[in-house]
Amino acid sequence: MKMTIAKKKKLEGYMFVLPGFLYILIVLGYPLIYNIRLAFRNVNVKTFKSGTDVFVGLQNFTELFQDPTFQLIFKNTLVFTIGCLVFQFTIGFIFAMFFSKKFTLAGPIRGMILVGYMMPMSVTALLGKNMFDVSSGVINDLLMKLHLIQQPVEWLLQGNTAMIAIIAVNCWVGIPFNMLLLTSGLTGISQDVYESAEVDGASSIQKFLHITLPLMKPAIASVLMLGFIYTFKAFDLQFVMTSGGPLNATDVLGTYAYTLSFTQYEFSKGSAAAIVLFCCLFVVGLFYLRMISKEDD
Amino acid sequence: MTKGKNSIFTSKEARRNLLLCVIAVLIAIVFLFPIYWILAMSFKSDAESFGKVVTYYPHNFTVEPWLMNLTDREFLSSLKNSLFIALCSMTISMVFGVPAAYGMGRYKMPGSKSFLLTFLVTQMLPASLMLTPMYLIFNKLHLLGTYWGPAIAIASGSVPFIVVTLRPYFKGVPTALDDAARIDGCNVFQAFFRIMIPAIKTGIITVVVISFLNGWNDLAYSMTFNVKPEMRPLTANIYRFQSKYGTKWNCIMAYGAILVMPVILLFVFLQKYIVGGLTAGAVKE
Repeated sequence: MKMTIAKKKKLEGYMFVLPGFLYILIVLGYPLIYNIRLAFRNVNVKTFKSGTDVFVGLQNFTELFQDPTFQLIFKNTLVFTIGCLVFQFTIGFIFAMFFSKKFTLAGPIRGMILVGYMMPMSVTALLGKNMFDVSSGVINDLLMKLHLIQQPVEWLLQGNTAMIAIIAVNCWVGIPFNMLLLTSGLTGISQDVYESAEVDGASSIQKFLHITLPLMKPAIASVLMLGFIYTFKAFDLQFVMTSGGPLNATDVLGTYAYTLSFTQYEFSKGSAAAIVLFCCLFVVGLFYLRMISKEDD
Repeated sequence: MTKGKNSIFTSKEARRNLLLCVIAVLIAIVFLFPIYWILAMSFKSDAESFGKVVTYYPHNFTVEPWLMNLTDREFLSSLKNSLFIALCSMTISMVFGVPAAYGMGRYKMPGSKSFLLTFLVTQMLPASLMLTPMYLIFNKLHLLGTYWGPAIAIASGSVPFIVVTLRPYFKGVPTALDDAARIDGCNVFQAFFRIMIPAIKTGIITVVVISFLNGWNDLAYSMTFNVKPEMRPLTANIYRFQSKYGTKWNCIMAYGAILVMPVILLFVFLQKYIVGGLTAGAVKE
């Protein structure tokens, strides 16, 4: 029996796609379901070894939400994410506009400042730890030399300043990334639009408000949503730079889920915390996916 | 007269160009300062790196901190682990990712929308969500404390990235090219390896570099699944070396500098590929 060409083509397609698809299904899909199962049971190091874990319903979640530490950590995650988004987006946008101007060094320098984005986050965090050090840190030294502060700030030893330091370090990575994504949006706008606006006598502020912003809307939305997703799930930075301290002041959902599972060996609680993190990402992720699938059509 | 007008115009342009360049250089100084700092610190003597007086360049230049790391057996074995995990995860990602990207880009089949959606969603999954279930599953499969655990887990992030990034590249190859290959008697696989992959070389370089860096930069998976410190890569052993070196910031920074070196080298030589890949995967797919 001979196969039709169309049927053969389809089979070929599946042959190429299925290995990768099944890999994802097995390596990510299965653990994902397993994680949901964990979150509704009482698996910890003891019950896992003896296999005596039982179904406990929503107990892990209710315990988490009643726990003041978890409430603090949820708040920290939001503060960290929003703080980072505001600065990295605003500065990233300004940089994108600046580097889209035509001048000799525009290309090379735009490329150079991206290097921070490629570095291992753990090294960036280590560097942050050193630069924000109280006595031998360069940040305090610079601020003192500029007479912006009179005394060394105990950056990583106090809750609020530790959060500022963490946000600052994350922005060092986030600004170039935002800039890069917004640049590709900016280059998509045709120069003719600006030129005809100039003929009509539009000022640069008018051009920005009435041409750049509206035309950049899809790029802006996707940069903000992606930024939210990447920042909300942060782990390496807090883990290495502050270990979530002082006193959980910089602990976020990612690091807290890790602590529950691998310091306290409460696997089910860790899973439940990770699911809370996942749900927050999922909501934003849905909007993002809807938007890019529209672009594709 | 036109000549005079022209020269005024150009000198104005030149001044504008100069001003913008100066601003750009200032931005670069601020952004690259941390990179300079990690290097400057790594060449300072113990006393200088620890002292209360902050020096902005090494006054007593020494390579001692680098040698401390490079002659340390623990360091060298961590370095080997880093390379091994990065290469393993890169290989797995390429083997599964590239054909899938090709299938997604060139074939129309039922279910391809849901395939794409799956790859897009999984690209966004956080490591911290996968750590606990994977740890327990790998424990049952005896994969904890092997290189396979982290390599498999890291690849699960790189495969969707490769599919999403390479799909448009494959889509853009003219169909005439694979028709010609078929006429010449290539089968599907020959056409894929001999015609399609070379046709999208730029894209392939991009995903090779980025999936290598995904493995090289990984902290969470390697730290969690490689329970034995001697199996851990450099990133995951940062804590051990921090407590080993104590307040010897010069040694810690040399450690970091060596860890960053391949990233900077890849970045300098393959920058356009990396930058292209980052934007391709994110804004539009």
